[in-house]
Amino acid sequence: MRTLFASLALLALFAGGPAHSTDAPANAYCYIGWPNDGQVLAANKPFRVWFGLRHMGVAPKGVAFANTGHHHLLIDTELPPAGQAIPSDRNHLHYGAGETETMIELPPGRHTLQLLMGDADHIPHTPPVTSKKITITVK
Amino acid sequence: MRHTIVLSALLAAVLQSGEAPVVSAAEPAVPAPGPANAQVYFIWPYEGTVITGGKFWVRMGLRNMGVAPKGTAVPNTGHHHLLIDTGLPPLNEPIPNDRNNLHFGAGETEARVELPPGMHTLQLLLGDMNHVPHKPPIMSKKITITVR
Repeated sequence: MRTLFASLALLALFAGGPAHSTDAPANAYCYIGWPNDGQVLAANKPFRVWFGLRHMGVAPKGVAFANTGHHHLLIDTELPPAGQAIPSDRNHLHYGAGETETMIELPPGRHTLQLLMGDADHIPHTPPVTSKKITITVK
Repeated sequence: MRHTIVLSALLAAVLQSGEAPVVSAAEPAVPAPGPANAQVYFIWPYEGTVITGGKFWVRMGLRNMGVAPKGTAVPNTGHHHLLIDTGLPPLNEPIPNDRNNLHFGAGETEARVELPPGMHTLQLLLGDMNHVPHKPPIMSKKITITVR
């Protein structure tokens, strides 16, 4: 039995991580507490984004605790594919330290914002826990 | 059995990401240090909010720090406690767990609360993995709301 687990761990290690995703409560969802959909914000001025999460808890990356995950803020992009780690780049900001708000600054123009929870391994839950995608204007 | 699976998974994750292991053992009682600029506050309700009906969501805000469930040893994290109609507990021991001291050890960032008509005070106090306030303690202003 022990060997089995050891091999599983090794397998996970070499295969690029566990490919399964974590279950989320069916009624869990994220929302952006601020800014609001359609909000117009001043350029050259950082603004705060509030991460709302209902029927679920926050845990930092690497922490496997039931019904938790950590926030990711998607900027000007679509939802990434299910079952894989959320990319980490300018359009996909990770909050793996358990943050529940952030300050960002965006160039003038229209932008979309959306929240997506990731599990201990940054993989979206099943079903995915996301917010509505909102559009803001910076000018 | 489940432990072993979780451990192997954790181990795999840790080895893979090359990060410090996450220890989730219930170790005793040196309060975790809190960042000097960390701040816990009410996103809603506000000081003086009047609530009709008595059932409402409290939204718990945390700045310059992260949320982690109880038992999780990650630096600069903690979990929320909502103090209702009570003063601060002793700050060098675990926060009591009763009707006046609600724990959110699953990492919740909002709470559904129901209170009888009247004036009530609310205050947030962050606890570390062992439910002990940080050093220095991270607490919100105490606000007063009215339910009718």
